[in-house]
Amino acid sequence: MTVAAIGTRPRRRVRWAHVAMYAALVFFALVWLYPIYVAISQSIRVGGWANYLAVLNHDTFNYWGAIGNSILIAGTSTILILIISSLAGYAFAKLHFRGKEAIYRLLLACLAIPIAAVVTPLFFTVNAADLRNTYIGVIIPLTAFNVLVMLLIMRSHFESIPDELLEAATIDGCNTFTIWWRVLLPLSGPALATVGVLSFVYSWNEYLLPNLLLSSPEMFPVPQAVSLLQYPRMTQEQISQLYAGLILMTIPSVLVYIVSQRYLQSGMTAGAVKS
Amino acid sequence: MKQISGRWSPYLYVLPAVLLSGAVLYYSVGFTVYASLTDWNGLTRMTFIGLENYVELFQDRTFYIALTNTAIFMVATVTIQAALGLLIAVIARERLIGSTFFKALFFLPIAMAPAIIATVFKYILESNYGSLNETLRMLGLLGPTDTIDWLGSGLGVWSMVGINVFQWMGFSMVIYFAALMTIPDDIYEAAELDGAGWWRRLWSITIPAVRNTTSVLILLGIVGSLKTFDIVWLTTGGGPGVSNHFLATFLYQERTDREAGYASAIGVAILVLAFLLAMVQVRLNSRKEAKR
Repeated sequence: MTVAAIGTRPRRRVRWAHVAMYAALVFFALVWLYPIYVAISQSIRVGGWANYLAVLNHDTFNYWGAIGNSILIAGTSTILILIISSLAGYAFAKLHFRGKEAIYRLLLACLAIPIAAVVTPLFFTVNAADLRNTYIGVIIPLTAFNVLVMLLIMRSHFESIPDELLEAATIDGCNTFTIWWRVLLPLSGPALATVGVLSFVYSWNEYLLPNLLLSSPEMFPVPQAVSLLQYPRMTQEQISQLYAGLILMTIPSVLVYIVSQRYLQSGMTAGAVKS
Repeated sequence: MKQISGRWSPYLYVLPAVLLSGAVLYYSVGFTVYASLTDWNGLTRMTFIGLENYVELFQDRTFYIALTNTAIFMVATVTIQAALGLLIAVIARERLIGSTFFKALFFLPIAMAPAIIATVFKYILESNYGSLNETLRMLGLLGPTDTIDWLGSGLGVWSMVGINVFQWMGFSMVIYFAALMTIPDDIYEAAELDGAGWWRRLWSITIPAVRNTTSVLILLGIVGSLKTFDIVWLTTGGGPGVSNHFLATFLYQERTDREAGYASAIGVAILVLAFLLAMVQVRLNSRKEAKR
């Protein structure tokens, strides 16, 4: 084989491969765009763009109310998760105490528990505590279920910080709490952002817990509020309005996605690989 | 003073996590196991009835339907999402122009609420005026008066697979992509010089190199399938009849029907399955690891 043949053959093959790859990408992109296209085109099919106004001024469905409920529930849960997971992640990564490994393993074993499997006691307990149909009654279990994977991410983040830094801080008179608060947290911007974004998106998207625990429509967060736009027998106009409502309700998620795509991706990758 | 505070303070830091997650979850699991042995309706006192709920469960046709649907869903979604995610990650690794856009598009559904995606698909897949059938008619793939019942008793579970792939394929893609970036380019270049084609490089370099990622995806797929609730509940609700129930929706239906003891037995079945399948997967993986 001549030198020229070695030089040219792979290149031509690569070019054909690129055409095939683009074809595959475009094909799948069309499949993925199809539902989005349908939702938008259906939302204006009967009634036009006025459907969006109609949804915003709906009798039974309060768009801004649902958004507000979601922000309240997801926001509170996210703040709690940030505090709990960074404190515990710090202790598990950097401090020594008896039973550390055992406690950590017992906590992580819970990652395999699907919420759906334990809805019965959850409902009963929240009801018995008189917290049914309250925001806090949703926020507590939501936080309990989401905190574990975030703990995993925070722990491996803190493990990547060298011990020398903590030793130096101890010599400077820091105790274990001020090390966390003054030394570690200021170094943890990206990790905290990752955990924050991930917690917020997970909580925002949660349907089962609010559906189980909230019964007043004015308290429904976004995923649950979808039901307020659906009726047993729907006219074409009502279906168009439903689609308009679904698109309006997706806008905050898309905005969060655009702003935080990097953190969302790195968070999911970290959460997956470390478990 | 400082010494003492250093000794008990770590417990204080892990206390919120232990109290909240540990307590809520272990208590819930314990409660579920206990309730599964009673005739509880979710409100009044429980009477201990031993294993009666389990005897009933193992004779319940719906349980086997839900089990089969969940199993089909598990195998199909794990396989399709892994294959498609890897394919697109491999293509994205070529750094083609525009691949950032494609990656962003495929990842987008993960940020969206499953409840919203499910509702959109419910109307797309409707058999008479649903958009998918209308599109197929327009393309001439379906007769003008023909209908395909995408959410019916036969196709329903496959539509759930489709919805799940739509939402989660981007996740497989992103974590495969992260794994692919750790494979050095010169391995591919060397293989190419040795005359290995695209297919050969995929099977001999890429797939072995991302094996750990694949097993993580399988593990997450198993847990995810047992969790699957929203997309089924909001599209078919388990129907028509009970034909499209998954384990989670079957449980939820029984709970709603005031069969809390029985629902708890289903919950225990889900927990046992999650635990067993996760163990099997971890075992298989470590055995493969040992063989290498």
